[in-house]
Amino acid sequence: MIADILTGALRSGTSVMLASQGELVSERAGVINLGTEGAMLAGALGGFAVTVWTGNPWLGVLAGGFCGMLIAAIHAFLVLTCGANQLATGLTIMFFAIGLTSFFGREFVSQRIVGFNPVPIPLLSDIPFVGGILFNHDPLTYLSIALVPCLWYALFRKRLGVILRAAGEREEVLFASGINPKLVRYLAVLAGGCLAGVGGVQLSVAFTHSWVENMTQGRGVVAVALVIFASWKPARAMLGAYLFGAAQALQLTVQQMGWPISTFFLFMVPYLLTLAALLVVERRKQSVTPEALGKVLAGDTGG
Amino acid sequence: MKRRVWIKANQWIACALTIAVLMAGCSQPGGGGGASAPGAADTESASGGTAAPGTGGTAVGFIFVGTKDDHGYNQAAYIGSEAVEKAYPDLKVLRAENVPETAEAERVMEQMIRDGAKIIFPTSYGHLDPALNVAKRHPDVAFFHQGGLKTAENLGTYFGTIWEPIYLAGVAAGKMSKTGKLGYVVSVPIPQVLLNVNAFQLGARSVNPNATTSVVFTGSWCDPGQQANAANSLIDAGVDVITQHQDCTKTIIETAERRGVMSVGYHTDASELAPNGWLTGSSWNWSDLFVDMVKVAVNGEFKGSKYDGKYRGMLKDDIVQLANFGANVPDDVKALVEEKKAALIDGTLHPFAGPVKDQTGNVRIAEGELPTLDELEATDYLVEGVIGNIPK
Amino acid sequence: MKQQAAALPLQGASDIWRSRVRSAGVQAAVLLAPFVLYGLFLLANGVNPWTLYVSMIRSTFGDLYGLGEVLLKATPIILTGLAAALPAKAGLVNVGGEGQLAIGALFSTWFAVFYLDQMSAWVGIPLMLLAGALGGAVWAGITAALKVSGRLNETITSLLLNYVAAYTVSFFVHGLLKDPESFNWPFSPEISPALRLPILDGTRLHIGFAVAIAFAAVVWFVLAKTRVGFRIRVLGSNRLAAERAGFNINRTYVAVLLAGGVLAGIAGMIEIAGIEGRLRPETGADYGYLGFLAAMMAWNHPVRLIATGFLLGMISVAGNTLEIGSGLPSSSVHILMGLVLFFILGSRRQKEG
Repeated sequence: MIADILTGALRSGTSVMLASQGELVSERAGVINLGTEGAMLAGALGGFAVTVWTGNPWLGVLAGGFCGMLIAAIHAFLVLTCGANQLATGLTIMFFAIGLTSFFGREFVSQRIVGFNPVPIPLLSDIPFVGGILFNHDPLTYLSIALVPCLWYALFRKRLGVILRAAGEREEVLFASGINPKLVRYLAVLAGGCLAGVGGVQLSVAFTHSWVENMTQGRGVVAVALVIFASWKPARAMLGAYLFGAAQALQLTVQQMGWPISTFFLFMVPYLLTLAALLVVERRKQSVTPEALGKVLAGDTGG
Repeated sequence: MKRRVWIKANQWIACALTIAVLMAGCSQPGGGGGASAPGAADTESASGGTAAPGTGGTAVGFIFVGTKDDHGYNQAAYIGSEAVEKAYPDLKVLRAENVPETAEAERVMEQMIRDGAKIIFPTSYGHLDPALNVAKRHPDVAFFHQGGLKTAENLGTYFGTIWEPIYLAGVAAGKMSKTGKLGYVVSVPIPQVLLNVNAFQLGARSVNPNATTSVVFTGSWCDPGQQANAANSLIDAGVDVITQHQDCTKTIIETAERRGVMSVGYHTDASELAPNGWLTGSSWNWSDLFVDMVKVAVNGEFKGSKYDGKYRGMLKDDIVQLANFGANVPDDVKALVEEKKAALIDGTLHPFAGPVKDQTGNVRIAEGELPTLDELEATDYLVEGVIGNIPK
Repeated sequence: MKQQAAALPLQGASDIWRSRVRSAGVQAAVLLAPFVLYGLFLLANGVNPWTLYVSMIRSTFGDLYGLGEVLLKATPIILTGLAAALPAKAGLVNVGGEGQLAIGALFSTWFAVFYLDQMSAWVGIPLMLLAGALGGAVWAGITAALKVSGRLNETITSLLLNYVAAYTVSFFVHGLLKDPESFNWPFSPEISPALRLPILDGTRLHIGFAVAIAFAAVVWFVLAKTRVGFRIRVLGSNRLAAERAGFNINRTYVAVLLAGGVLAGIAGMIEIAGIEGRLRPETGADYGYLGFLAAMMAWNHPVRLIATGFLLGMISVAGNTLEIGSGLPSSSVHILMGLVLFFILGSRRQKEG
C-alpha cells in the first residue's frame, strides 16, 4: 500500500513538479507568475494537439513547451515592459488561458492519442519495492527527475545561475557587468513558462492521455505555493511536489479503506499538508527570499 | 488629489456610458441581427398569465452545467437540443454552457426569456431551485427540468431510470470479474450518484454473492488527473472492473484499458475506447423525448400532459439504454444480461425489490416492498457490499 | 500620480486641460482596444461583432432590469475588492477573498438557519451580517496568524485556504447543513423570508449594493482621513519607516487582514440574504478572484474600485448575452475579460506618469 501511494506520488506529482521548477527559475530572477496555471493549460493543449496531429509525443513536448512560453511571454511583456502588477497580471493570465484553451481545445476533447506510456527500466524496475516506485514511469517523468540536479547545477555552480540570481537579488551587479537585468528576467520568465508547459504536457499526453477544459484544476497554483515552500531550492520543490502527489494518492487509498472520515476532509488534505509543510519550513529558518521578489510579495507593485 | 480621483472614476464611467450610447444609437438602422429577438422588449410577462405555458415563443433555451463536448452528461443533453433544433427550424435554440448551480442560473434563464424563449430546459439538478424562482415570475414559460423532484404549475421534471441499465452492467461486471472486486469512480455524494452505485452493486451481487464495489470520490465532475489517480489507485488495490459517475468519461476508460482491466461506461457508448476491456455501459437517449416535450408545450398542452409532473423515462421507453457489449464478453454472459433486461422491461424484475440492506446491515427496503420514485432519487445510503464512506 | 499632483500648481490651465484630454483619450483607447481585438476574434469565428456588442450593451444598460443585474454582480466584486485593497495598502496581498466570502456565507447561513429563523428583519439581518463578518474574519484570521506567528507569506496561504474553504462549505452542505426537504441534495435549507434583503421592484437588485458602496466610502475615509489609515499607508509604502516610527507592525497586519476578511464575509452574507436564499457548494464562486482583479485595476483605491467592480460586473452580465446570442462557447467570455484586463493592467505606467 505504501508502495502504491509513493508510485501515485510520482504519477500525479510530476506535472506539478515541472511547473514548480519553472516557477522557481522565474522567481529566482525576481518575477512571480501566478499565470503558471495558464502556462500549464496552454502546454497541455498544445502538446495534446500536436500529438494528435503528428502522433509523435516528443513533438508534443516541444509544442507544449512553446505554448507555455507564449503565455509566459504575455506575462513578461505586461510586467517587465508595461510595468503591470505581477500578481494581478498572473491571475488575469490564468483566466485568459482558461478561456483561450477551452475555446480552441473543444475539438480535442474527444480525440485519442497513444502518447507516452510507462517504460520499465530493465533490471532496475525488478528491484523489490523501490523498482516499482521509481523505475516504471513514462519517459517524461524520468526526464523531469533528471532535470532537478541539472537545474541545481546550473543555478548554483554555473555563471548562468549567478546571472539569473543576480537579476533577482542585486541587479546593480548585472549593470556593472554590462548585462541587462530586464533581458535576464524576460528569459527566466519564458524558461519558466516553457517548463510549466511541459508540465502540462505530462498531464495531458503522459498521465491522462486526454484533454478537457481547465484540466489543471489548480495544479499551477499549488506549484507556485510549493516554490515558496521550497525556499527557491530545486530539490525541495521536487520533494514538495511529490508530497502533494502523495497526499492525493493517500486520500484515494484512505477512501477505499471505508474509514468514517469525511471525503471532503480528505480532499483538503493535500492543501493542508502543503500549508503544514510551509509552516514547518518557515519555523525552522526564515528562508532567503530573492530581494526583487520580496518587494513584489510585500506589495511594492510593478516590475 | 482626492478630487482628481473622483474625476478619474467619473471618466471611467463616462467612457463606458459613451460607448454604450454610441453603440445603442448606431444600431437602429443596421438592426435585424439575430442576437436580439424582436419580442425582447415586452418582457415583464405578467400579462402572459393566461396563455398556456410554452406557447407563442420564438426560441427554446437550454442551460448546461458543463460543456457540450464532455462525452458525457452534458453532451447527451446537447444532442437532445440538436434534435429540437432540427425538428423545429422556426424556433431558435439558445444555449448556455458552464452555468453554475447558483442564482447565476436565474439570470441566464431570464436572459433567454427576454430573447423570446417560452420553453426552457435547465439540465442539471442544481438548476432546479433557480428555475423554480424564474418559473414563478413567468407563468407563461414552460420549464422542463432534468432530474428534479420538485415541480410547479409550469415546471415539470424529467429524467431517465439510468439505474436500470447500470444494474444490468453490474450483472455483466459481476459475471466477468475474476477478483470479485469492482471499482466505482464518482464525483460527490449526491442521491443520483449513490443510487447508481447501489444499482451496480446489486446487479453484481445478484450473480456473485461475494462481489464488492469500492467507491472513490474525486470531488469533481471532470478532473482527468484525479480520475487517472483514482483509477490507478483502484487497480493497484486489485479491482478488475472499473466504472464511473463523472461528466467526462474518457480518461478512466482509457486508463483501465491500458492497465489491462475491464471497464463499464456511463452516459455514452465508449466501446471504441477500450476494444479489449469494454464490457457494456449505460447511456441516455434524450432526442425523441425532448422533441416530444417541445411539441406538447408549443401546442399549449403542457398542463395535463405527462410532462407537467415528474416524468421518468425507462428502459422500456428507450430513454435510457444499455450500450453494446464488448468483443470479449462471452455469449453466456450476454444471454444472461439480455434475459434480465427482458425481465426489467416486462416488469417482472425490479433491482431494488426488498429486502435491500445498507452497508451496516440495516434493512432499508423491506422484504416484498418496492421503493417509490422519490425514495429512490433521495438515496442517502450505500448498499451492502459497497466499500466506501458517505460524509454525514 | 504623486509626481503629477506635485507638478500641478506649476502648470498653466491650458496645459492641465490638454493633459486631461490626453489622459481621457488614453483611457478611452485602453477601454476600446480590447473590444476591437475581440471583434476581430468574433469575425474570425463568423459572428458579427457590431450586432453582438449592441445586444450586450442593450442587455446591460437597456433597461432597469439589466442595469440591476450589473449592479448585483458588482456588489460582491466591490466588497471582495475592498478585502484585497485594504490589506494591499498596508503592503499585504490578500488573494483569499474567495475563501473568506465562502466561509462568510457559511457562517451567515448557519446562523440564519439555526438561530435567526424566527427573528424579524430588523434584528435578524444585522445579526446575520455580523455572522458573515465573523466567518470572513475567522478565515482571514488563519492567514493573519500564520503571517504573524509563522512568518508565512499571506499570498500563498490565503490562496491555498481558498481550496480548503470550498471543501469546508461542501462538507457542511453535504452534512450538517443539508436541507431535510431537498431530497438529500447538497443545499442548505432556505433562510426565512424575513431575513431576505429588500429588493428593488422589477429587478433582482437588493440593498446590498448600497451596503457595498457605503463600505467603499468607509474604507476610503479610514485610509485617507484617519490616523489608523495614515499608519496603514506608511507601513505599505515604507515598512522601514513604519518600524522606525515605532508602529506596531504585526498588529496592523492582523487588523487589515481581519478587516479584509470581514468585508469579504459580508459579501458572502449579502449573496445569501440578497439573491441565493440558501447555501450551495458553489455559492459565490469566482467573486473573490474577480474582486482581487478589480482592486488591482483600481490600484487599490476604494472609490475607483466601484468603477472597476462595475466594469467587471458588466462584462460578466454581457458575457451571458454573448454566449446566448452568438452561440460561442462560454469560454469566450473569459477571453474577452482577459483582454480587457490586460489592457488596463498594461496601461498602468502611462497613467502613473
